[in-house]
Parts: sequence; C-alpha cells; structure tokens
Amino acid sequence: MDNAERLFNEIVKEYSERVYWHVRRFVNNHEDADDLVQEIFLKIWTALPSFRGEAQLFTWVYRIATNETLNWLRREKVRSALRFTSIDAEMERRIDSDPFFDGDAADRALSKAVAKLPEKQRQVFILRYYDEMPYEQMSEVLDTSVGALKASYHIAQEKVRSALGKDIFIGSD
Amino acid sequence: MSKRNDITTPEGYFGDLQKRLSEIPARPVRVSMVHRLAPYAAIAASFLVAVMLGNAILRHSAPASAEDDTWTYVSYLADALDPDGAAMMDLADYYGEDPEEEGLSAEDIVNYLLADGISVEHLNYLSYEEGF
Repeated sequence: MDNAERLFNEIVKEYSERVYWHVRRFVNNHEDADDLVQEIFLKIWTALPSFRGEAQLFTWVYRIATNETLNWLRREKVRSALRFTSIDAEMERRIDSDPFFDGDAADRALSKAVAKLPEKQRQVFILRYYDEMPYEQMSEVLDTSVGALKASYHIAQEKVRSALGKDIFIGSD
Repeated sequence: MSKRNDITTPEGYFGDLQKRLSEIPARPVRVSMVHRLAPYAAIAASFLVAVMLGNAILRHSAPASAEDDTWTYVSYLADALDPDGAAMMDLADYYGEDPEEEGLSAEDIVNYLLADGISVEHLNYLSYEEGF
C-alpha cells in the first residue's frame, strides 16, 4: 500500500461518516446520499495528488464534498424541471417518503424549511446548525468571510423560524 | 428538537460504506465522460455567459425588442430533446416567461445535459445551427 492509498484510507476512516451526514441533509434521501458520497470519495482519490497541504485536510475534504453536493443539486433542479415539478416540491416529497427519516413532525417541518432556503443560506445553515462547524472553519470551506457567514446564518435562521413558527428554538447565532 | 437523530441509516451501513470506499484505489482509473468534456464544457459555458451578457447590454439599449436569449436557448435545447414540443409548452406554463426566476440557468441546463451523456459536439452543433 503506497502513501496515497494510506492517506486515502485515513480520510475514509476519519471523514466518511461526517461527509455522509452532511450530504444527506442536502439530498434528503439515503440512496442518493450513498451514491453521492461514493462520487465525492472518488473525486477525493483522483484529486489527492494535487493536495499540497496548504489547506487543512478537513477543509479540503469538506470543500470537495460541498462542491460536489451543489453540482448534484443543480442537476437535480434541471431533472425536476424536466419532470414538470419544482426542486422544492421534489425535496418535500423526498422528506415525506424517506424510510430512514425518524424524526417527529417538528423535525420534518425543519427539514422542509431548510430545503427551501436559497443555496448559499442552506449551505451555511447545514454547516452551522447540523454539522456544528465553527465560523472560522466554515470561512475556509466556503471561502467567505466570517462576518458574511454570520449574516447569512442569521437570515437563514429568521426564514426557518418564520416558516416553523416563532416558538421553536433552533439555536442562536 | 434533535439535531442528528431525526435521520437514520440501514443497520451496519457505515462499516459497509467504509469497506466500499476503501476499494476505490484498487479500481481501474477511468476518466469519466464529464471529466474528458470539462474543458469543452467550460468553453460552452463561457460562450453562453458572453451571449447572456451581450443580451443584457442589448436589453438596456433596446428594452422592448430584445427576447430572452437564455429562455430561447433552453427552449431550443428542450425542443431538440423533445421534438413534439409538448414538454416545452408545459415548461413555459410552469415557469411563466422567465425560468431564471426559479434559479434555473443556461449553465445548469448545459451541465445537466453533459452529465446526462449529451456530447459537447452535439450541444455546439445545436447552438451553431440555431445561431446562438
């Protein structure tokens, strides 16, 4: 086993589960999350020779995962249009029909509200709220200033709160 | 409200996933169609952006007469894939006259078509034939 393979196996061991949960929040379906995680790790393997170590490994992995997930979402948007439905409706359908969704009605409503956020705000919300990533790390992953991320998260929170009703606590900035 | 317990996976999933992922380096290296076509896709996307920018400039100088090139281009591509035209009529009904209000850009369509196996040569041919 050479060094690249050893490093790749460490990445798989260390990050595959986190990447899965991250992706799953975007695609709202286990099968697609599974396919996408494989695509992401294939990409990581092919890009590994270009990893120079300037960025932290964690940041580099998350950046690839986030970019691949957004590409998938954009393709899904077109697929939905060709089926004469909207991506929002498709995501709602996925949340309602996911056999591996184990939450209550409030969790379901939260997932639906998050799925309706604009792309950038959804990214920020998922990284901050579900992945509990510090703003400094998010800033490296998304290549955006901490101030802009805090503003995005605040706006996303307000939209989610307004979709759910003010009485539900979804964390602070 | 829980953060992580609302979604689950099949039992033993992560062990199986790690096993499958660790087999990736042993797979024969295959350059995917999307990767091979990426430089051409970049050219096609740049071309579309130039068309859209040009259109925006023209629209400012002649607001009443300029048609939405993106929508026309999307319509043309969809027509090529759906020759009886029924799909486009439904699409137009669904989106009104401006598909970009829903965040669907010409680049999204091009990326989707490329990922779906439509060749860049075919896309370029369609663009050229229609004068885009």
